[in-house]
Amino acid sequence: MSTVRISGKVITSICSLFAVLVLTGCGGSPETPTGSRSPGAPAASTPSGRKININTAILSELDRIEAELAVPALSNRIQAERPYASPDELVAKKVLTPEQYARVKDQLTVEDIVLTGEAKDIDYMTKLGLMRGHLLVARELLVGGESAAALPHIGHPIEEIYLDIEGQLDERGVAQFKSILLELQQLVRFSATSPKVAPALAAALAAIDGAMNALPVTQRRSPAFVLQVIDQLLEAAGTEYAAAVNDGRIAARIEYEDSRGFVTYAAQLFADIAPTLQASDPTAARQLSAGLAEIKRAWPSIAAPRTVVLTPDQVRVRIKDVERAGQKV
Amino acid sequence: MKKELYTRRGALGWGLVGLAGAVALPQAVRLLQGRSVSVPPPGEAPTVSGINPMVVLRDFDYGTVREENGRTVREFRIEARTSTIQLNRVVSFVSWNFNGRVPGPTLRATAGERVRVVFLNRGGHAHSMHFHGIHASTMDGVRPVRNGAATIYEFDAEPYGVHLYHCHVAPVARHIGKGLYGLFIVDPPGGRPPADELAMVMAGYDLDENGRNELYAFNAIPDYYMQHPIRIRQDQPVRLYLLNLIEGEAAVTFHLHANFFRLIRTGRSLDPHEESDVVTMGTAERHILEFSYHLPGRYMFHPHQDTIAESGCMGQFEVVGADGAPAGDPGHGH
Repeated sequence: MSTVRISGKVITSICSLFAVLVLTGCGGSPETPTGSRSPGAPAASTPSGRKININTAILSELDRIEAELAVPALSNRIQAERPYASPDELVAKKVLTPEQYARVKDQLTVEDIVLTGEAKDIDYMTKLGLMRGHLLVARELLVGGESAAALPHIGHPIEEIYLDIEGQLDERGVAQFKSILLELQQLVRFSATSPKVAPALAAALAAIDGAMNALPVTQRRSPAFVLQVIDQLLEAAGTEYAAAVNDGRIAARIEYEDSRGFVTYAAQLFADIAPTLQASDPTAARQLSAGLAEIKRAWPSIAAPRTVVLTPDQVRVRIKDVERAGQKV
Repeated sequence: MKKELYTRRGALGWGLVGLAGAVALPQAVRLLQGRSVSVPPPGEAPTVSGINPMVVLRDFDYGTVREENGRTVREFRIEARTSTIQLNRVVSFVSWNFNGRVPGPTLRATAGERVRVVFLNRGGHAHSMHFHGIHASTMDGVRPVRNGAATIYEFDAEPYGVHLYHCHVAPVARHIGKGLYGLFIVDPPGGRPPADELAMVMAGYDLDENGRNELYAFNAIPDYYMQHPIRIRQDQPVRLYLLNLIEGEAAVTFHLHANFFRLIRTGRSLDPHEESDVVTMGTAERHILEFSYHLPGRYMFHPHQDTIAESGCMGQFEVVGADGAPAGDPGHGH
């Protein structure tokens, strides 16, 4: 009987000890699934600012690390070695030495973060730019009487991109315009020859412009800012173009058209800042202007050329040239 | 009193033995499964555009196991890519795929394990990985991942059965049609009895983007298993993990020639639900089919929508005797 009583106490103390261990163990362990987003809750910040998600950050964000460690082309290297299950994989993949990693690890994460500051604005404008590129191509196709071909280019803005910026529109005080896009999509799908299509398309383009105008005009006119958006658009165009080409031919017209739209809009953005850039940095202005003209050769018309003018690799090289020229600004 | 103590101690002791056995048993079963199943050497089985459907058939990806905080985490690395597949002598197709193969890797875990999928998108369009199973909405994989970006999906492998994953970026039918799909098998604790396990996905190809499929296939290459029959051992249990991901059609009715299979719907049981030689499967339905052939020879399998079958969705099993030779005279099998 005395044995039973001691056993009871022992069991209880073991259980409570176990409970304490489990609770303290849970404190720092990654029990919450990585990659989960906590809406509204700011990501953990470091003395120097917001953390950088090495799995999703754009080059200009990663440039912070590149600058801090003074390692040239580090941001490209970090992107090239994705994905990372955890920040310390940067060491395992020999992107950073252990010493370098120790210096910056508090700024790095693989969890979803809420973008802030310039990175957020670049991301915002890029997404609007992609939407605009899609609609520019849709307009070309509609004008050419090809409503069926135009339809995916109206769908993409809604399905792929709008969902991603929906939250930001409220934040920035921009009226939601999903219904405008939806109406345009339904018009083109069910009533392509209706006279309502042209004004609906104009309304959609105007809505995108309106959303872009939420950014301060000084930013939208700043070459340094706009060039980063142009880089993003060109990157998207390059990859889509690679998906379009097969066997020296344009095999997938949707991707050819997508990439054409992105490059077209990137060129328009450049034209907007060209005067300012010409005044401040004429060398860069000339290089960028020539570089963009070179890239555009791959898309001579809305209709895919019979033989490919530039291979995807050639396009990629030219895009890199433009990015490098832009980084010096 | 003394008797009580011994009984309690004894019970504790037997309990520990039982616990050890429960932990060790799944491993033992898996070892047994590995040893007692004899897969005949394949015949000619060429690689097409970097994909080998004969290899894909029996290729199960168990990922990399890590121990984290006393928990087994099974980690998989998946990359969305764009590449071309030569579907036949004439038709090549721009595919969007996971890890350069269609179907994507057949991921496999045991129920209750934590699964971590590190997903990188190098496919051009935004893509995602949506898993069928039970998990949190943040892990549901419906948010697009930009080209060049990566994300981490993490969830517990639940419930046991045969499931799937696929891209969930609109238009989903196009993303799936281009090849962004794969099987996700969750084994019951303790596994299943030994068998020659095969993984197959039926899918369609809309070559001219008109919303209708022109070609179909088991495991990506139309007619591959017709031209290169799948060798299976006479009298050996076969366990087929079969998924239908043909978009844009009504359900297809999978048919196995000259035999009946035991059907475990969605793999959600250890015992068969029913037995038949046809099973109607809608898009994203997937089942376990168990059967064995007694007589050597070649036996076709295909959807019984015969136009679909004759457009590439057809294959054959070649039942070989214990000596491994393809069937000559069925009467000599033993």
